[in-house]
Amino acid sequence: MGKKEDISRRDLLKTGGVVAAAAAATGILPETAAAAKEELPRWAMVVDLRRCIGCRGCSIADKSEYGVALGRFNTVVKNIEFGKYPEPKKYFMSRLCNHCSGGEKDVPPCVEACPQAKAGDREKLGGKSYRTGATYKRPDGMILIEPSLCIGCYKCVEACPYGVRSPDPNVKLTRPDREKDFGVGKCTFCRHRVDQGLVPSCVNTCQGRARIFGDLNDPESEVAKLAAEFKLLENRDKSTLLPGENTMPHIFYIDTDGVLAHYKITKENKFKEYTNEFE
Amino acid sequence: MANLSRRNFIKLGIASGALLSAGEGLVSPALAGSVQLQHGGKDFDFITGTERKAVPTACWSCETRCAAMGYVEDDRVVKMESNQNSIRTEGKMCAKGQSGPNDVYFPDRILYPLKRAGQRGEGKWKRITWDEALTEISGKLKKLRDDGQPEKFMFSYGLMKASSAALIKDVFLETYGTETIGNHESTSNSAKWAAQELTWGRHYDNWDFDNTKFVLNFGSNVQEAHSNHVPLSNRLIRARVEKGLKSVTFDVRYSNTAAKSSEWVPIKPGTDGAVALAMCSVIMQKDLYDKDFFKFIRASENVNASVDEKVAALKSHLAQYTPAWAEKISGVSAAKIESLAAEFAKAKPAVVISSRGAHAHFNGCENERAIQMLAAITGNIDNPGGRCRGVEPKWESPEGPKDKPKAKRLEIVDGKGTALPTHHVSHQSLKMIKEGSGGRPDVYMWYCYNPVYINGEANENAEILKDEKLIPFSVVSTIVYDESSKLADIILPDATYLERWGWEDQVCPTQVPEYYIRQALIKPLGEARDFGDVVIQLAEKMGMPLGVGATKEEFVSKSCEMTPTVKAAGGIEYMKKHGVWHDPNDKPQYYSYKEEVKTDGAVLDEATGVYWKGNAGEKYASTEGAYKKYVGQKIGDKVYRGFEPDKLNKTGYFELYSAIMKEKGFGPFPTWIPIPEHEKMKSDELILTTYKVAVQILSRSSHRKWLSELYYNNPAWINSQTASARGITDGDKIKIKSSVGEIVTTANVNEKIIPGVIAVSFHVGREESGRYGSGNKSPMAHDEDPDLARKHWDAHGVNPNKVISNASDPISGQMRCMDTVVTVTKA
Repeated sequence: MGKKEDISRRDLLKTGGVVAAAAAATGILPETAAAAKEELPRWAMVVDLRRCIGCRGCSIADKSEYGVALGRFNTVVKNIEFGKYPEPKKYFMSRLCNHCSGGEKDVPPCVEACPQAKAGDREKLGGKSYRTGATYKRPDGMILIEPSLCIGCYKCVEACPYGVRSPDPNVKLTRPDREKDFGVGKCTFCRHRVDQGLVPSCVNTCQGRARIFGDLNDPESEVAKLAAEFKLLENRDKSTLLPGENTMPHIFYIDTDGVLAHYKITKENKFKEYTNEFE
Repeated sequence: MANLSRRNFIKLGIASGALLSAGEGLVSPALAGSVQLQHGGKDFDFITGTERKAVPTACWSCETRCAAMGYVEDDRVVKMESNQNSIRTEGKMCAKGQSGPNDVYFPDRILYPLKRAGQRGEGKWKRITWDEALTEISGKLKKLRDDGQPEKFMFSYGLMKASSAALIKDVFLETYGTETIGNHESTSNSAKWAAQELTWGRHYDNWDFDNTKFVLNFGSNVQEAHSNHVPLSNRLIRARVEKGLKSVTFDVRYSNTAAKSSEWVPIKPGTDGAVALAMCSVIMQKDLYDKDFFKFIRASENVNASVDEKVAALKSHLAQYTPAWAEKISGVSAAKIESLAAEFAKAKPAVVISSRGAHAHFNGCENERAIQMLAAITGNIDNPGGRCRGVEPKWESPEGPKDKPKAKRLEIVDGKGTALPTHHVSHQSLKMIKEGSGGRPDVYMWYCYNPVYINGEANENAEILKDEKLIPFSVVSTIVYDESSKLADIILPDATYLERWGWEDQVCPTQVPEYYIRQALIKPLGEARDFGDVVIQLAEKMGMPLGVGATKEEFVSKSCEMTPTVKAAGGIEYMKKHGVWHDPNDKPQYYSYKEEVKTDGAVLDEATGVYWKGNAGEKYASTEGAYKKYVGQKIGDKVYRGFEPDKLNKTGYFELYSAIMKEKGFGPFPTWIPIPEHEKMKSDELILTTYKVAVQILSRSSHRKWLSELYYNNPAWINSQTASARGITDGDKIKIKSSVGEIVTTANVNEKIIPGVIAVSFHVGREESGRYGSGNKSPMAHDEDPDLARKHWDAHGVNPNKVISNASDPISGQMRCMDTVVTVTKA
């Protein structure tokens, strides 16, 4: 797992530009920025389903971290139950935004669906960015939303095959004609914490240590080691959700009990599957 | 450790400087390089990026009371996490703890002193000043005390532990002179605690998951709820995954703990003791017992019996309890009992764990004694990887006036006819007040307690609390308007746990004591006041100064300076900065019973072999409170610390043979006691069991919106076979009827419960607890929470205590929360 397989050539090219632009803006020597490019992280999460006890600490930590409104969640745990008495089975399917890298085009469906921002607005994304809509992919893999660019079309909400996006009452649209409408919310990988050197809030609280976050490009990171040990990258059909959608999720599941095979997300149920009732 | 790279990390300053931003203008720099992420201890506003103020404190959601970190922004509590330096929690927190900020800001919170303005229970209130409230209450209390009737002041408490108990109970109530004090322990774990007091002396146990090789679980749902939940739960799942630790769970219900076990063994309610006895029998008959530990076991009347004699006595007693016999009672196959018994005995070390599934029954104390026996005969007591006596910090704190009156009490807190009410039988107190033979209080005050809801026969509890002839004056300190505060005469607005001070002392799983404190994160909202401060003020007004400082905060500061180890570490200033402290040189406390002790100043009581500081002519076993003078146990020609008593005059042996039980008319050995009502059940009757879930806290949390959003309703679990025999399908409205009442709920028909049982969770079914918990607006509540308009549930569940009686285990007084006989029909 030494090679930087998660950053495509295309990504790196774009990143190089961003680095240069940013370096110029902050007065950092270009050499420093270039060196940093080589060390670019690819944030990812491994969810070890053996360790999840279904406590929902992650869900409430997220509610609290962001003051999430009732009625929506950024992260949920679903109960997966099957089997007959006296041998029922119950597993916990811990879910959040997959922070997909996207398929052949390296464009996740949400990013693809997001209308391009007007030329003048692109400055808000640092001039040269990766797909200049409100929804964008940061070079370190985080899929984020810039609310000031969001026009409230909700195409990303529909486009995400996992149902992780929803109109968020805590995000107001800034367009004068849509002031009463909501922007879109979802998991940010706790960008504000990670950028300060902290793990995401859900990872911090996780009783079972089922959520492991880190840099897939760092072979010494725990996520990289787990990816290697459980062949998570090689077996995406068994380690990620909806592999057929070819979205290339970066939430990987250690699933020694074959739980994912019992879990179905469809166009019809994807939003219901992203609710979070305990029983 | 999760998320930690072993590589050197680029200093964050530099990493942040290497901007890699592709969005958010240029305000959101991504890190570059190999970054070692910190696990916690800091938090930032997700919009502004401003660092939030971090204050070490302690959770008070459940009894576990985890050391925590609170985050404050603009004088608002916004976020909780565990204290990353806590050896108990290892930096982990559950959903309950994470919902803490809801306690402060729920819109129905009581924020001002209220006085009843209509009939009791009518729901009419007027706001009064603190001075008016304190004057009225202290006036009534002072009169009782001056009249020589302090016992007519009755006080009940729930989750009031550690510093709160030290100040309110040990200082205020003791100085006042009443012992008419009830608690919640008989609705909690008193059967187990009595069993442990009878066998190894102390009441609380620890399960050493870090070092064990096998877990045998009788009725504990430790992965969802327990009085030491996160510290144990996180260790159990870690050992399961990282060490392949095997665990087998006996439960009537496929709980999340059962789901995360290697195997779930369904068992009929209240029969865990039969299985444990049969396992003990197998282990003894097959000579799989730990002979060395028998030196410290008492197994006969003769305290000087040899190990061989003790083994023979146990074999003889247990011969009746064959696996085939236990199969008929419990439904667990004899083959399973035999194989698990052998596996448990050979695992070395193995830990047997247990909770209310095993003991909230008529036979609860005996079931737990049988479980203690299983641990003892296999040598899995107080050993690495076994069932250990809990180790908690020993705080010193101000004791108040030296001359305290001899306390008086009304005989209404121990029920009637309970043999060993070492933790009281307080769930029967209201019934005792109604009946009247033990006297009635003139003033009833309760704190952290909701007697109407949490005790059996909830409807009758409300009737009694409402009756001014039975209880003339009542006061509660609370943050929430609930089923009981609704029936008070004065409601005092309590500070939440995030607005007050305390020191805490819950047991640490590593067998090393951890000291930790709670700091107020913010000033109390409205006119809320910590009840700890209030008792100091009440005492002042009564002319009964406590001399412990003017506030709870001072009390806590003084405690930090009085406790030698904490003082040496840096006292209150250290604790304010770090929140937790343990001595890094402390060795885990195992095998302390093997320590030899000096007998200076002590005398030998020949009958028991106990060295104690008794007076000439006194017999240890029959002298009241003799256990307080225990020094050691003579075994052979040596004197050991042994299993020292804590509440009963037991010997220093691990008592499998109990002279105390014999004297009370029970079997001296752990014995199978059938549940009388279950013996004569009709074919159409079912057994009602209750349970707790991972996202609500006892009766304390339904006002927390984030928890109630996850769990607001409690449809009754019923096995598909049992349901179909009654024509019940999933989602049907059903009626559950017992000898004391009935409830109507919906059926959750599933495969996760043994046939013949119906399960209704605790927590919800609230008639009052604000809009999130009950749908009802509390007096003087506000509407400013925008989530009120987004609440998307109308159902609020049912309270199983409306059909559960207040009957109890005759030995310990434990309320029988798990064995009510009911009929279930379509409604």
